[in-house]
Amino acid sequence: MGSKLPTTLLRRPALLPYSFQPTPPSQTLTQVRHATFIPRPRRPYQFTQLVQLSDGSTYTVRTTSPQALYKSNKDSRNHILWQPTDKTLKNVESDEAGKLAAFRGRFGRGWDTEGAAAEGGAAAVPQEQKEGEGKKAEASAKAEEPVAQQDPFDSLTDLISQYVDKDAQKKMAMPKKEDPKKK
Amino acid sequence: MAALRGVSGSACGLRLQQATRSAYATCSRRSVSTQAAESASPVLLDLETDSSIGVPQLSPEEKKEFRPWKRAADRKLPLPGSRYQYHPPKYDRGPLHPIQSPNQSDPTARDFVPGPFSLPRLRQTFQSTISSDIMTLAYNHTPPGTPKEPPAERLRTWDDSSPYHKNRPKRAPRGAPVLPLRERDITFNNIPEIKEITLAAYSPEAIDDPNHLIVTRSVMLALTGSLPDITTTHSSVVQWGVVKGKRAGVKTTIYSNDAYEFLDRLIHIVLPRIKDWKGVRATTGDGSGNLSFGLDPQVVAMFPEVEVNYDMYPTRMMPGCRIFVKTTATSDRQARLLLQCMGIPFWGKI
Repeated sequence: MGSKLPTTLLRRPALLPYSFQPTPPSQTLTQVRHATFIPRPRRPYQFTQLVQLSDGSTYTVRTTSPQALYKSNKDSRNHILWQPTDKTLKNVESDEAGKLAAFRGRFGRGWDTEGAAAEGGAAAVPQEQKEGEGKKAEASAKAEEPVAQQDPFDSLTDLISQYVDKDAQKKMAMPKKEDPKKK
Repeated sequence: MAALRGVSGSACGLRLQQATRSAYATCSRRSVSTQAAESASPVLLDLETDSSIGVPQLSPEEKKEFRPWKRAADRKLPLPGSRYQYHPPKYDRGPLHPIQSPNQSDPTARDFVPGPFSLPRLRQTFQSTISSDIMTLAYNHTPPGTPKEPPAERLRTWDDSSPYHKNRPKRAPRGAPVLPLRERDITFNNIPEIKEITLAAYSPEAIDDPNHLIVTRSVMLALTGSLPDITTTHSSVVQWGVVKGKRAGVKTTIYSNDAYEFLDRLIHIVLPRIKDWKGVRATTGDGSGNLSFGLDPQVVAMFPEVEVNYDMYPTRMMPGCRIFVKTTATSDRQARLLLQCMGIPFWGKI
């Protein structure tokens, strides 16, 4: 017999004159170790802590903090954002005797009076707008003029100078008296 | 068997057939006294009538036979040591390997985590109050018998202009290949709750000074109680000196009880301490029920865990962090509703 020729025909072992041996797989087998490391969980010790809120309510938490008792002075129990109906938390000054108002009236802050003036000017604008669109430009110009003329520092300096003047005047008017209580 | 126990002690010694027969007999012949006894003591039916007192004492011969010291002396091989402990395998070698590691819930397993040790306050509140609150707030009445409207079709269909259009899958909408999550109505079996909370801290100074990373990591560990992973920068910015692939951040995720504990602490202790804080911006959210907000380094220092040993952390290395609250809600407004009910204030136009 001559040498075997390459053929594309399927060969059936029973029909062939020689015993058919299946060829071993050509690719080389590499050994793979499929082992996944099981890590131990790393976690800190957690203490049981008693938390006392500002209203006195307490509850326990698991926490990494070693403190046994945590007292909070500012929390959601005394914050206006969480307790919107609590009037004691609102930042309103109690001025029943009117002393604070009197103080502000005497030593009035310049920026407060300015703000009031600016609000008055701003309020005047919409009233004039209602009258007519033709006058709108004029009205706005009128409204802008006083704002532009005012210099915030001018009024402040005026206020301060006036106050100093008054003080000085008083001192000038009243000569130094000796305290009668001391005698 | 309970019926058997109910009959008198002598009857218990009888064989089963006899006992049942006697029970039948008592049943057939009713008497006022037995009925009264049965009705009076239904609790006593479960009591065992046998007692160790009734066991006969050992005879002197039997006592002589009982010599445990002799048995120990005669033993050829020693008993296994009392210090023997089972060690689970260090590696998982697949399901077909003869050595298998125990389940995670097994206390001997390597990855066993004990707990839970407490039911967090916020979780209790959620279960008792908040869940029903949300359900009530989101209730939308539909008269019974109203036909259910099919949801609007979002995919584009093919016009059958060509015979090849038959059985073609529908196309995604124009300009948006990924469909957004569809909002599910809140019902008794679909109440949004907290799934997990991720904390991420980015400290670009750590590229130059790795100590920043240590501080950031320890702060995050103190806050969450879980060891954070170190993250790397994902792009380089020349102006900021950020190089791609450098270790410059930390992140960690906490689940279930830990998440509720953290959120409780955040809402009731930390956030009220921020000066002039209006709340979380209402426009936050990724569109599918996950909200996020950030905390400054000064705010992070206000956490009780950090505050307790504040001196440990260098002040200039204190990190800020971003908090991602992931909920099971399917839309931002549902998630916002959940967090609002839990106590996080929101501000601004939605």
